[in-house]
Amino acid sequence: MAASKASRIGEEIWKTRIDKVNAELVTLTYGTIVAQLCKDFEDDYPEVNRQLDKMGYNIGLRLIEDYLAKSNTMKRCSNFRETADMISRVGFKIFLNITPQVTNWTADNNSFSLVFDENPFADFVELPDDGRAQNELWYSNILCGVLRGALEMVQMQVEAHFISDVLKGNDTTEMRVTLIRYIDDELPPEDD
Amino acid sequence: MSAAIPSVACLGVIGRNNNPLHISIFPSYDPTANAFTPIRNPLQFSLLLSSTIDVFDLRSKTSTASGDFGLLHAIDDRLAAYGFETNTGVRMVCIVDMRGRRVEAGGSGVAGPGGGAAGASTASSTSASAAAARSSVGSVGAGLRDSEIKPVFRAMQSAYVRLLQNPFYDPDEHAPLGGKGGRRITSKKFGDDMKRIGEAWTPGVTNL
Repeated sequence: MAASKASRIGEEIWKTRIDKVNAELVTLTYGTIVAQLCKDFEDDYPEVNRQLDKMGYNIGLRLIEDYLAKSNTMKRCSNFRETADMISRVGFKIFLNITPQVTNWTADNNSFSLVFDENPFADFVELPDDGRAQNELWYSNILCGVLRGALEMVQMQVEAHFISDVLKGNDTTEMRVTLIRYIDDELPPEDD
Repeated sequence: MSAAIPSVACLGVIGRNNNPLHISIFPSYDPTANAFTPIRNPLQFSLLLSSTIDVFDLRSKTSTASGDFGLLHAIDDRLAAYGFETNTGVRMVCIVDMRGRRVEAGGSGVAGPGGGAAGASTASSTSASAAAARSSVGSVGAGLRDSEIKPVFRAMQSAYVRLLQNPFYDPDEHAPLGGKGGRRITSKKFGDDMKRIGEAWTPGVTNL
């Protein structure tokens, strides 16, 4: 499916089939979750990243069903490049109303970057100034988990992590997504 | 031939426990040295801000609905303190230096400390307001209208709102219930906002 067609689908679903909520509600709720995790784990930021990823994973497992229902695409993506376009132009579009750029493909087409020009989760946020959060905390790490969980449900095992974040002073917010393997449907043992 | 126009000398934010949350000090033009230096030291500014608390307390009994306290007190012939209080008890004070900046009467624009450093956008807004500022030059000493200070408080309040929306900013830490103490604001973004507001304001600026 062409990228432009994916954009059109995303736009169409966003306009007609999505219930909207106030953006500040989302931002403040997510912010509270991250801040509370930091408090609960006593500023152990690697652990906070892990928890966010886990929460995202559990969201992804469920969210994919909603995505498939709304996007109404029974057709499978024919390759990982198409998957990437659908994630950006339909997935992110209908749930967050953003379309991160898909770039930096590796030669084997198994790994790409999502570059976030805007990130509704990170509005207003300033990372704690304790000398560690700037290096260790990936504020929007929940998104990595969401992708991992959602793609796992459609037979793709991926690895996703952020490699830069404007909150840390980087120029862009960039997530790296790498396809590890297609999970084959487990066939029942044949009885010859 | 040049004339002096008002500029912001200090912006202060005071928490509901009468604790200092933030103080920004801005240099004023000193014609004898032809340079920009603050006209009071940080301790003196801190004392001036503290002294406004009493005025806030007195006025709050007959308070205005809008939270705008207008002129709190004129400190001397140069400095005047204006105040604003939110419903949550956070007070914002703007100390204005009536002769903090200089405009060339010929109309070449405003000489401000932020002219170069503050970037093109503020520089252009400053020169656009220069004309408005020059027209009010004649009335220096007669004081400023409260409406001229209003944009400062509006901008300070929206900066404060943005600060509160940062999930890592814990309002309780900065003004704990029980009425004692509180930590200062350490946010760099908030500090930058205050710096921008203080440098960009001149009489006649409506949007900061």
